[in-house]
Amino acid sequence: MLFPTLDFLLFFLVVAVAMALLDRHFRAKKAMLVGASYFFYAQWDWRFCFLLAASTTISYVAGLLIGQSHDPGKRRLILATGVALHLLILGIFKYLDFLVLSANQFAHLLGLQHELPFVEILLPVGISFFTFHGISYITDVYRGDVAVCRAPLDMALYMSFFPQLVAGPIVRAAYFLPQLARPSHDPIPIAAALLLIVGGMVKKVIIANYLATGLVDPVFAAPDNYGGSDLLLAIYAYAVQIYCDFSAYTDIAIAVAALCGFRFPRNFNQPYRALRLREFWQRWHISLSTWLRDYLYKPLGGNRHGRLNTYRNLMITMLLGGIWHGAAWKFVMWGALHGGGLAVERMCQPWLGQHPASPVGRIVSWLIVFHFVCFAWIFFRAEDFTVAAVFIARLGVGWGEPLQQAQPAMVGLIVIGMAGQFLPPGSFERAGLALQRVPYWGLGAATGLILAAINALGPEGIAPFIYFRF
Amino acid sequence: MSRSERAPLVTDAIPPALRRRGITQRQVFVTCLVVALLVALFASRDTPGWAERLGDTGLDHRLRDIAGAWDETMETLGLTAPHDRLRDAMQRALDWQWGADSR
Repeated sequence: MLFPTLDFLLFFLVVAVAMALLDRHFRAKKAMLVGASYFFYAQWDWRFCFLLAASTTISYVAGLLIGQSHDPGKRRLILATGVALHLLILGIFKYLDFLVLSANQFAHLLGLQHELPFVEILLPVGISFFTFHGISYITDVYRGDVAVCRAPLDMALYMSFFPQLVAGPIVRAAYFLPQLARPSHDPIPIAAALLLIVGGMVKKVIIANYLATGLVDPVFAAPDNYGGSDLLLAIYAYAVQIYCDFSAYTDIAIAVAALCGFRFPRNFNQPYRALRLREFWQRWHISLSTWLRDYLYKPLGGNRHGRLNTYRNLMITMLLGGIWHGAAWKFVMWGALHGGGLAVERMCQPWLGQHPASPVGRIVSWLIVFHFVCFAWIFFRAEDFTVAAVFIARLGVGWGEPLQQAQPAMVGLIVIGMAGQFLPPGSFERAGLALQRVPYWGLGAATGLILAAINALGPEGIAPFIYFRF
Repeated sequence: MSRSERAPLVTDAIPPALRRRGITQRQVFVTCLVVALLVALFASRDTPGWAERLGDTGLDHRLRDIAGAWDETMETLGLTAPHDRLRDAMQRALDWQWGADSR
């Protein structure tokens, strides 16, 4: 069940009725939301619900056991076991066939004939996200950053809450569980929520979907059929597409959570305006980058043990961040590029400084960072290394050829998508404050009309969100 | 490392200034109902396609008939005209090619 569909609208109407009826019964509301979340997840494959329940049970039990124990060694053992079980589930469902494929390829290189059989397990949607939720909870309990969750219902809702279940944002236990401890009496920020929904729908249905079908997909399917200008615009288009696709999902997730009475963290902050690669990661998929920082980079030692160890830690973090996105070497390459880029940037920091001072310096920095990010996207989007290699090789040729795919509408969508990156900070807040003067039913009517218009302007059918496969 | 250093620095997606004014859970339901009603009125063109993707039970067939009849009614009332015009305009924009006459 995708957000921009009639199915989800009907589903959420039922949830909204139930929430209105259970407004003064917080426990019942939480139970209803758990039921709704499992129903939402079962729309992909009902068998995945058992996996989600298993992941929840592991986290809950591990948290209780860590809370009961005062022996540091035993606490560490429970933490290690809990994290290992989560990673085992993720490994089996997401990476097993990748490991088999890699082992078979390695065996071929060694001249061995025997091949391991593939398991061919269906990848459960959102498994990477709820695994990270579980790991962060157990680790936070171990560190003492969050109280042990003794209510199974709260743990079930934390792990399964439908707005963030399949594609994030990754919500920390320390942030979300306190919201489940007692009902919030804050008003529901309807203007902000509807603004996020409308903005998300424009980004996904119009910008991302048209760029995908009109430019990115055809060019990446056969890059040797196109000249350099089409290829370059296809990279820009993919940069805009993936941002619009993913940020649209999290915007709508944040809005839906707000309509249910819960707060979610910010996940994007105009990433393509970054002047440093480090700044890009402070603006892109913030919930993942901070997760990797707090649960991987810092435990590895962070920047505390000299420059060489810092570069190593950056590289390990980004390599694992890359493979988190998908079981393929191209994602490892994407992570390696970012890890290497961050290490080089840190190496050059004494000369570069934290932030370029002059306008020319800022423009040059922006151009370098943006094009580096775009270059790395080639590996992320290409089917495999061969396609990526052809793509990169063809970038230097055929600049005199007329544009085939990058027609005016596509270029217009790229420009609109990029323009959104340079809106003045605080634009969303100002727009939300202005809309607060409109009565809620008026906002509902305007949203209904705009959604109908977006539906008319968008292509028929809705492509799944890119991050569903992660 | 102290606890406060380790605690995640998380920014709320919706700024506090926008959280000071809002509505109740019942008003959320009314808002959703208004949204759904307007979508049903002005986006009826997609309902037959949506119904086609449902299953093959008796209820699904009945829903298909209702969706088709609903779209025809909206067409009779002239409510599908904005949808059709917007779709045509978008198609023209997509078909526009470099060097072609833009008129």
